[in-house]
Order: sequence, then structure tokens, then C-alpha cells
Amino acid sequence: MEDYEEDYYSSDRDSLDGLENEESDVQWAPSKGSSSKVITKESLLVAQREDLRRVMDLLSIREHHARTLLIDYRWDVEKLFAVLVEKGKTFLFAEAGVTLVGKHDLGSSPSTVMCNICIEDVPGTGVTKMNCGHNFCNNCWTEHFIVKINEGQSKRIRCMAHKCNAICDEAIVRNLVRRRHPNLAEKFDRFLLESYIDDNKMVKWCPSTPHCGNAIRVEDDEFCEVECSCGLQFCFSCLADAHSPCSCLMWELWTKKCRDESETVNWITVHTKPCPKCHKPVEKNGGCNLVSCICGQAFCWLCGGATGRDHTWSHISGHSCGRYKEDGEKKAERAKRDLYRYMHYHNRYKAHTDSFKLESNLKETIREKVSILEKKDSTLRDFSWVTNGLHRLFRSRRVLSYSYPLAFYIFGDDLFKDEMTNEEREIKQHLFEDQQQQLEANVEKLSKYLEEPFDQFTEDKVMDIRMQVINLSVITDNLCKKMYECIENDLLGSLQFGIHNIAPYQSKGIEKATELSVCWNTIVTDTQKCPTSEYHTNGIVTESGRPSGSGSLDESGCSSRKRPRKESLGFGAIDLNLPPEVIDGN
Amino acid sequence: MQASRARLFKEYKEVQREKAADPDIQLVCDDSNIFKWTALIKGPSETPFEGGVFQLAFSVPEQYPLQPPQTGEICLDILKNAWSPAWTLQSVCRAIIALMAHPEPDSPLNCDSGNLLRSGDIRGYQSMARMYTRLAAMPKKG
Repeated sequence: MEDYEEDYYSSDRDSLDGLENEESDVQWAPSKGSSSKVITKESLLVAQREDLRRVMDLLSIREHHARTLLIDYRWDVEKLFAVLVEKGKTFLFAEAGVTLVGKHDLGSSPSTVMCNICIEDVPGTGVTKMNCGHNFCNNCWTEHFIVKINEGQSKRIRCMAHKCNAICDEAIVRNLVRRRHPNLAEKFDRFLLESYIDDNKMVKWCPSTPHCGNAIRVEDDEFCEVECSCGLQFCFSCLADAHSPCSCLMWELWTKKCRDESETVNWITVHTKPCPKCHKPVEKNGGCNLVSCICGQAFCWLCGGATGRDHTWSHISGHSCGRYKEDGEKKAERAKRDLYRYMHYHNRYKAHTDSFKLESNLKETIREKVSILEKKDSTLRDFSWVTNGLHRLFRSRRVLSYSYPLAFYIFGDDLFKDEMTNEEREIKQHLFEDQQQQLEANVEKLSKYLEEPFDQFTEDKVMDIRMQVINLSVITDNLCKKMYECIENDLLGSLQFGIHNIAPYQSKGIEKATELSVCWNTIVTDTQKCPTSEYHTNGIVTESGRPSGSGSLDESGCSSRKRPRKESLGFGAIDLNLPPEVIDGN
Repeated sequence: MQASRARLFKEYKEVQREKAADPDIQLVCDDSNIFKWTALIKGPSETPFEGGVFQLAFSVPEQYPLQPPQTGEICLDILKNAWSPAWTLQSVCRAIIALMAHPEPDSPLNCDSGNLLRSGDIRGYQSMARMYTRLAAMPKKG
């Protein structure tokens, strides 16, 4: 199962060839390789080097000056360049406190100098002149640096002179502090290095606890979900668990609400549901939401309603318990109605997350089934459809469960109260619920087929199940996509008062951030002209008169992929994900 | 000897030497504690503070001069984030005098006087400042 993720899509595509529409093929195509990167303690320097390099090359300055500038501009190279073009180098440097001096200024020092801080006469050798030209004794400088580092100001240690805006040269700080406090010098270096994470909106610490020590860098869209190399999947924007298609705000409100109301809901959302016939509590022990009681009665786990014993799943799809029906006749008090409304959504949300957990156990049993099948002497060789189907099930189940809190807020009357009229809301709600219902029906079907003991079936029957699973995988994927389109365009796209961004749908599941390759480092530091160090070669070429309007400056090797990806976000994809426990097994 | 102590000692000597140069400021160090200072500042002439003598107590931190001296509530940037170790107690007093002559209506400690100034009521501001000066910084009559 090691290389399973890689194989998955290609083999999926192969096996689907000729079976399914072209559209799905196109949508598999983009986002090869991942645009998010894991930054470990070791690769932190490498990660920032490309930004540093761009600034150093363009302005012909040394690394620490580039760092000072970048810290001032929160590592936004484009913004820094824009200011440079608009206001010029002098302005840029003055604002950021960078002073460049010629060597001659630093040269000779008189035999003794009066330090204005300790008011002592100090021999010239014990004095340091900062880039800005201010001269103080090493002792006072060191004390000043120590105070500032301990105050957490390592990134912007200013000169001691009154109204001097200059940022102290990091090499001087490092050298002077190291002489007295080697540990503190290390701390200073770490602060500088970590500025790349702390002050950069495209890089964030992985929120794992205990902390894995990694940070994640995304390329162009902060509204996405990522998986750290430690296995944690999270929303890059709010650092909570991945929750798409809920927006961050909805998710925050929802989790809070679930906590607050848990006591009321606890006794309702128990682990069992009464059988509609014999009223005995029934525990759900499988992933599928069609449950049969020991008395023989089958019922829908979602609504508790009885279903026919010889049901077909197309009947279940016509069964509309996913819709919320406002109970107008009873004229229940508002509070009660609100509670019921919440319970409706919460129960469905919970049912799907519970199914999700149960289905996670399927992984093991499925693996066993596959190995049994593989041992059989049969014409069937490729069982990737089983695992593909299972992963499709996880992803779709996840979208489904988070679509309930989303619906709770979008069609409720607090968060989106002024965004649409009642009529509009009703229309949109129907539209959305139709899609949700379709997805739900197909997810349940998929779940049912995957739970079949197909390892004991005849080959014909296995072939039949294979067809069903493959078809349903494609259908649910498309339904998820459609649902995201509906959410992004019809529901969230027309908002006037609030902005709700959701992480796009990822057909393949949450993107795993890839480790920065360290060989990159050597390429850049050697400053050889090679394709990977596009930035810095660009800086040079631009000067020699090549038209610079090609946008090449803001493009890295991988960013050519960014554009198409960005466009593809337009039609509503969102991210979906597997919880770490599912991924761990890979 | 601690750096702060050495520096304060230098400042003390400087104050003694320059006493005559700045008659508006009288800086006195506590007899037993070089980290406690008292300043007497004369209100600058042609301001509502004229004729008043303002007493300031300075408490000097151990990290001085890397950290600013503590005094009463004065909304003065150099006593906060714009502090530079190149300042001395003497120069802080000078800055306070400058603040009295040129109040900063956008960063007032006393909101009322700030509002008066911002609304252009110079007379109102002056009369209020004058009142406080009389109440707090002038010898009581009879």
C-alpha cells in the first residue's frame, strides 16, 4: 500500500476509460504535484532563500539587508518590488531602516571615543559604528541587543541614537551578543529565521499538538486545506480541523454551538435509535445508513423512518429525509423551532461523521477482502477500484457531513438574514437540498456496495460490484463538484454583506504538502544559472534589457501551474479530506 | 559596578557641573538611592504653566539607560517606545518642558484639555491649564 496514492488516480483513470464522460478526465488533470510545502526546522533557511535571493539580486544588496527589507514587508516580495518601482530605492531603504555605507566610512577610528550611552571614553577598538554612522561602545551595544532580544524584538533592533530609524546590522548583533551570551545569539538567529513563518501570511505553523515543528507554505490561495507531513489536516486559513465546504466563520460558530448545546443534544443524539416497529434501541455497527432491526424492520438511520424490507437504493434516493421541513402548523415557539432546526442539522451532521468513523474501520476489512480475492485464481487482477471507491466514499462522506452545518447557517436566519428574501432562500434551499440528497443517496449506495462480502462472491458478481463501485465513485465525485459549484456560485457567490471563503473541492482529497527539497539550496547558493533558480537569473536578465513585462519576476518554476489552478477554483471546487487516522495507514 | 549605576553617577556629576546652565530644571538625586530622582521643573514662560513649579519623581530601572526612567503619567513618546539610551534624565526634563509649551492635542493625558485644543478653543484650554497649575503647582496663598 505504500505507493498507493500515486497509483490511485492513474489507474482509476485507466479503468474508467470509455466508461465515463470526458469531463471527469479533464478535472483529474490539473494540480499535479502539490503547491503547498512543508517547512521543517532544517529547510527553513532554504525556504526563505529564494525570496532573499530575489531581493538581493534585484537590489544588489547583501543577505541581511534583504532580510531586513523582507521582514519590513512581511515577506511579500511583490509588494516590496511595487514600492521600489513606485517610490524608489532610497525611500524603500529609509522606510525599512536599511542604511548602506561605503567601506570608507567604517575604516579608521580615532584612538579614543566618548560613548554617549555610558559617557565613558572608550578606546577605538572597543567601539562599533553601525551602518547609520552612529558610534557607541561595544559594551553598550551588547547590553542594548540583549535587552531587545529578551523583549522579543530581535527582528527590528534599532540603533540606540535618538530618532535613528536604522535597523542594526544583524552580523554585528550576532557577533557582539555571541561573545557574552552564545545562547542568546542562537535565539536571535532563530527569531530572524522564524520571521519567515511568523510574519508571512503565506506560511503558518502546523497547529499540531504536541507541535511537530513544521510550518506549511501555500502558494497562492490562503483559503485551502492542507496536510502536514505529520499527518495533521487543517484549514490553512483558520488553523482549525479541515471543514470545507463550511466557511471558517460557520465552522467556528458551529463547533461552539455544538459544545454549548451538547447537553441538550446529547440525549437525542445517542448512539442508538429506536426501531420504528418494535421500538427497541438499535445500534449502528456499519457505515451504511440503512439499518435493519433484529425484528426484521429496516429503517433509515437518518430520519428513523421505516423503509421497505426489500428496498432498492433508488427508493432511498427518493426518500427526502435530508430536507428540513419547517413545521408551520404546530406554531411551535421560536426557541423550540430553532432547537429542532438545529437538531435536524446536527443529527445529520453527526450521522455522517459517525458513518465516517465506522467506515474508517472498513479500510482494514477491505484490505483483507482484497488479499483474499488476489489469492483466488481469477481473471480479475486489478483491485484498485476497491480502494479507490473507499477513498471516494471517505471524501464524499466528509463533504456530506460538513454540508449540514453549512446549510444550517446559509438557510438560517441569523448569519445570512439580510442576504436573501424568503423566496430566494426557499429556491436556493431546494436547489441545494436536491444536490445534497442526490449525493447522500449515492454515498449510501457506495457504502453499501463496499460493505458487501464480495471476497466470497463469484467472479461475475464481483465484476458487477466493480462496475457499480466505479460508477458510483465517479458519480459521487461529480456530485461533490456540483455541490461545491452550487455553494460557491449560487449560495456564497451572491453575498453582499459577508464574505465567506471556502477551501476548494479537491477531488483527490486534501493536498499533502511536500517537503522542500534541500538540493535546491545548493543550486541557489552556487548561483549557477539553472532552470530552478529562475528568480535570480531573471533579475540579471532583466537588467540586460530583456522585456520584463512577461511577469516572469513573480513566477517561480511551479507558478505556471498556479494560474490554471486559480481559474479552476472559479467553479466551486473545495477541499475535502481524510482524517489523519485514515491516511496514517498509507 | 552595574552599568546603570555608573551611568547615573556620570549624569549626577554632569548635573552638578551644569546646574547654572539650565535654571528651569532642578534635578536632585535621592541621598541613599541613586535610582530615585526628583526633578523640579519651572513652567515655561508665556504658557499657562508659567509661574508653576512641577515636581516629578523618577524611578530608574536597572536596565537604564536601555530602558526609560519611570515617572508619573506623561504621554511622551520618548518615555515609551521612542526611548533611546542616548537620552539622559536632564534631557527628558527638557523634553517635558517642550511638551508644556507645545501640547500634543492628539495624544492628551487629560482628554478634556485635548478636546478643547482640538476644537480650537485655545482660551478654554489655557484657562483650564492655568487652573490646574494654580491648584497643583503654585504655593497656596494664605
